[in-house]
Amino acid sequence: MAATTTDKQPRRKRQSMLAKGEQRLAYWLLVPTLVIILAIAFYPLGSVFYSSLTDDTFASETETSFVGLQNYSELLSLTFVELDPALDDNGQPVINPDTGEAEYQSPVEALPREPRRYREVFTFGLFGSQYVLGATDADFILAIVDTLVFTVSTIALEVVIGLGIALVLNQPFRGRGVMRAAMLVPWAILTAVSSRIWEWMFIDTRAGFFNVVFQNLGFSDGQTPFLADESFQLPAAIIIDVWKTTPFMALLLLAGLALIPDEMYEAAEVDGASKWNQFKSITFPLLKPTLAVALVFRTLDALRVFDLFQIVFAQRKYSMASFAYYELIDRQRLGYSSAASVVIFFMITIFAIFYIRGLGLANDD
Amino acid sequence: MTDVTAGNTIATPKPQGVVTEAELASRRRRRRIWNKIGFWALLILIAVFLLFPFYWAINSSLKTEPQLRMTPATFIPRDPGTGDISITWQNYKSAFQNDTFITAIINSTIVAVSVTIIALVIGSFAGFALGKLRFRGKTPSLYLILSMTMFPQVAVLTGLYAVILNFNIPAIPSMILSYMLFTLPFTVWVLTAFFQQLPSDLLQSAQVDGATPFQSFRMILLPLTAPALVTTGLLAFIAAVNEYLFALTFTTIEPSARTVPVAIALFTGQVARQEPFGEIMAAAVLVTIPLIALVLIFQKRIIGGLTAGAVKG
Repeated sequence: MAATTTDKQPRRKRQSMLAKGEQRLAYWLLVPTLVIILAIAFYPLGSVFYSSLTDDTFASETETSFVGLQNYSELLSLTFVELDPALDDNGQPVINPDTGEAEYQSPVEALPREPRRYREVFTFGLFGSQYVLGATDADFILAIVDTLVFTVSTIALEVVIGLGIALVLNQPFRGRGVMRAAMLVPWAILTAVSSRIWEWMFIDTRAGFFNVVFQNLGFSDGQTPFLADESFQLPAAIIIDVWKTTPFMALLLLAGLALIPDEMYEAAEVDGASKWNQFKSITFPLLKPTLAVALVFRTLDALRVFDLFQIVFAQRKYSMASFAYYELIDRQRLGYSSAASVVIFFMITIFAIFYIRGLGLANDD
Repeated sequence: MTDVTAGNTIATPKPQGVVTEAELASRRRRRRIWNKIGFWALLILIAVFLLFPFYWAINSSLKTEPQLRMTPATFIPRDPGTGDISITWQNYKSAFQNDTFITAIINSTIVAVSVTIIALVIGSFAGFALGKLRFRGKTPSLYLILSMTMFPQVAVLTGLYAVILNFNIPAIPSMILSYMLFTLPFTVWVLTAFFQQLPSDLLQSAQVDGATPFQSFRMILLPLTAPALVTTGLLAFIAAVNEYLFALTFTTIEPSARTVPVAIALFTGQVARQEPFGEIMAAAVLVTIPLIALVLIFQKRIIGGLTAGAVKG
């Protein structure tokens, strides 16, 4: 008895020393990663938070001062104002002779100017009245709206088209390998390059592919300025992004489809289930985890979109990220740009948490 | 969409009146043929959707300036006068003579190769620790790194740029260091998963033989991870070549350090008039071909890596 305990004691000691050694090794191996993450993520993030509370600018001699939440209130202040009907000299409401609708005062007149000037983001009609949404920084509010519309539309289209492509390519046919290889082409093209290619395809003369197509279909005279015209800008951006990222979505879904055993379909076939019912009760539920992860990654990507907007639109239309970039580089407003970055950071974080909770990824492991 | 499955679809015969066996069989055959035609039409549609923009870039890159200005644009380079097919290599020649573009290729190579190597070395250390060693604080470290894969770059843009300007760090090292933000968490995450798969016996038997954990990592486990290293390295490389936000910002005051995406985005021709789209398309094709070749060679690994990184992320 005594012998065994004395025998066990050093062994346990040796084991715990081994464990300690292992622990120490693990820390040493993790140090480089953690130091780098600290240096390029946490430290700059902290300094962004701090400078978002100041009026710091680049390349200027003026003293930086602490301004509290002023940057945020300038970025995010909104107001809704009801527009009064426009009256002519006799006090009668003006009716537009072309459309037969009542005209309203211009939003500039209606929006408050003191203490800060509000600009028009957009106007809209509701229950027979006309309203205007004003913001102290209309560009940023519009960038948020546009980025959200862009995100929702691209993700929806990518899922639908990506799922379609994945279901087609999941069938056995000759040349499947070639098709899968072709799927990697848009993914392999640099975003900057694909943006330039599409910019050229969207050019505002018939030298551009889309104007040729539009003219041949009789939609336009072949001079449509797709990238300058407000009503075409977002659809163009959505097409470009959908083209670039749908193959990625399709590849992920294809990998997910490969995990579904064929026997399940065979059994369903024997039971006489229709193809649609098979999709509804086998394919979709089993694909959901894959779809969920793909959705999270794509949404976070789309929310921080920069390359496409900066290259194709420059300052004609902002995404949230390109707005922050131009505030920093063109207007040198370090503090203000930082505040925009913080807003983006929180929006993305909220999305990530919401998604992970909502899709039940957290209890997946 | 599932309805267009090829020949393996078994049409369920509906009881309708009196139909002979032969008639049924021919109806079934006809339906099968239509299904097949529909399926291939769909495939062709998908292929055109995937490849057309790149085809359009190649097409435009082979046109002269007058050919590019032809309206309506032609689907193959044609002579404006006669309408015969005529191609030119002038845009490619100009692209090769464009110093900014050549420098950009060199810069991109330096940046992307360094990023890949550093991310792999450091990432495999962390991946080994997280995947195979027992220590306190493992779960928080894993969550920290997973959350870093979702980190938006733009959130640290101003902070990093201020540091770079304060310390006068040149643009290329700045890019290499800052690209760790999106490559390192990814490599750590994938390599951790890979190390976890390796049997623990390997490590234990090496320890019994007197090897230290680090020796067994270097001599036994690392060689086994070579395939995973190739895959993650490739994905890190492509991500680094693709990066635009930091590259554009950090090279604002140092144009000689511009990488390929920045050079392509800001491309100006030898003769600065309008935007030289012929030359831009030639440059676009030139940088895309090696990338496509790389991706196609490592096709299987890339798909595997993407799935490892995302499907079971």
